[in-house]
Amino acid sequence: MIRIDFNRLRFLVIDDNAHMRRIVRTLLHGFGAREVYEAEDGAAGLESFTHYMPDIVLTDWAMPIFDGLELTQMIRQPGANANPYAPIIMLTGHSEKKRVTAARDAGVTEFLAKPISAKALYQRIVNVVANPRPFIKTKTYFGPDRRRNVNPNYVGPERRRGGKADVIRQQPLLEKAKAPG
Amino acid sequence: MPAPKEKPAITTYGDYEVIVPPHELRKAAVPVEPGEPEDDPVARAEAALAELSSEFAGWMDSECERLDRARHEVKAKGFIKQTHEELFHAAHDIKGEAATFGFPAVAAAAGSLCRLIEHTPDMKRIPMKLIDQHVDAVRAIHREYARSDAREVAEKLTSRLRAVTDDFLVDENRHRPEYLDDIFGPPLAPTDTV
Repeated sequence: MIRIDFNRLRFLVIDDNAHMRRIVRTLLHGFGAREVYEAEDGAAGLESFTHYMPDIVLTDWAMPIFDGLELTQMIRQPGANANPYAPIIMLTGHSEKKRVTAARDAGVTEFLAKPISAKALYQRIVNVVANPRPFIKTKTYFGPDRRRNVNPNYVGPERRRGGKADVIRQQPLLEKAKAPG
Repeated sequence: MPAPKEKPAITTYGDYEVIVPPHELRKAAVPVEPGEPEDDPVARAEAALAELSSEFAGWMDSECERLDRARHEVKAKGFIKQTHEELFHAAHDIKGEAATFGFPAVAAAAGSLCRLIEHTPDMKRIPMKLIDQHVDAVRAIHREYARSDAREVAEKLTSRLRAVTDDFLVDENRHRPEYLDDIFGPPLAPTDTV
């Protein structure tokens, strides 16, 4: 049996709304996190990402200068920064299908529509800690594997050429982490 | 001397690579020791949020004032990029925060305003009266929240605003039916499940 020790994780919260930053910080401290850094727009967020090297990034979508989607694309540049693999959890008021798809295609690891709850945020964090996904690099995409499940009903061309490694098994650590103490 | 940094494992297939980065967050997954007291981080976080809740009404006041200012800026300067963004962000923040602050009925009216602003192709065609009705509804629902019938009245008001907004959006987007399919489709994002 395992548990998540939040005290060993460093978080970066990026949101232009001070109230929402305070809410997220309060929840993270409640989970047991000590190291929580904040930035109020995409540009400051990228600078803080480089400076603090957070383990997990929590970002809003709609922000001045550049938004959470652009920030994600900048982090997901192989070779451009120290950790292009950092988990990115997008917390946003947007919940439409095209928005979720755009976030996924930019390389967001987890998506959480506001209003956020302690339980939902905790589950997203547990998922990125205990159940990391491999990264896929193609000509047009670099980010966490977008195929979370095997779809036996899929009909259509295979878009990844190369055979049997198309679906990557998830690590089973998540189930251990979710099990009651 | 620090241990050399672990490198990602890269496997190349036909036209793509599968990269397994070092699992650095494993450091935070620790075994539960026998006899260790049961821990509930979610309950702790909810308790921390409850302690903060005395501030929420004041925060909601300031968000409503911000929305009102943004509306007046639109009236003063017209629908330009800056006023458009300020109005949208103010409404969008209320949509996302109101339920957390304990005013869920306010979120729906703000959400309808977001929808109106976001999905109207030519923002100059949005009737100012419809914006006024949304902003006034958001402020009134918040102001009268203590009334026993507040939620019921809010629901009726918001349903009407949403219906008028949707009629307007159908008309404004009649030349792009695929866009209408998108905005009238169900939301995809989960809110409280993985």
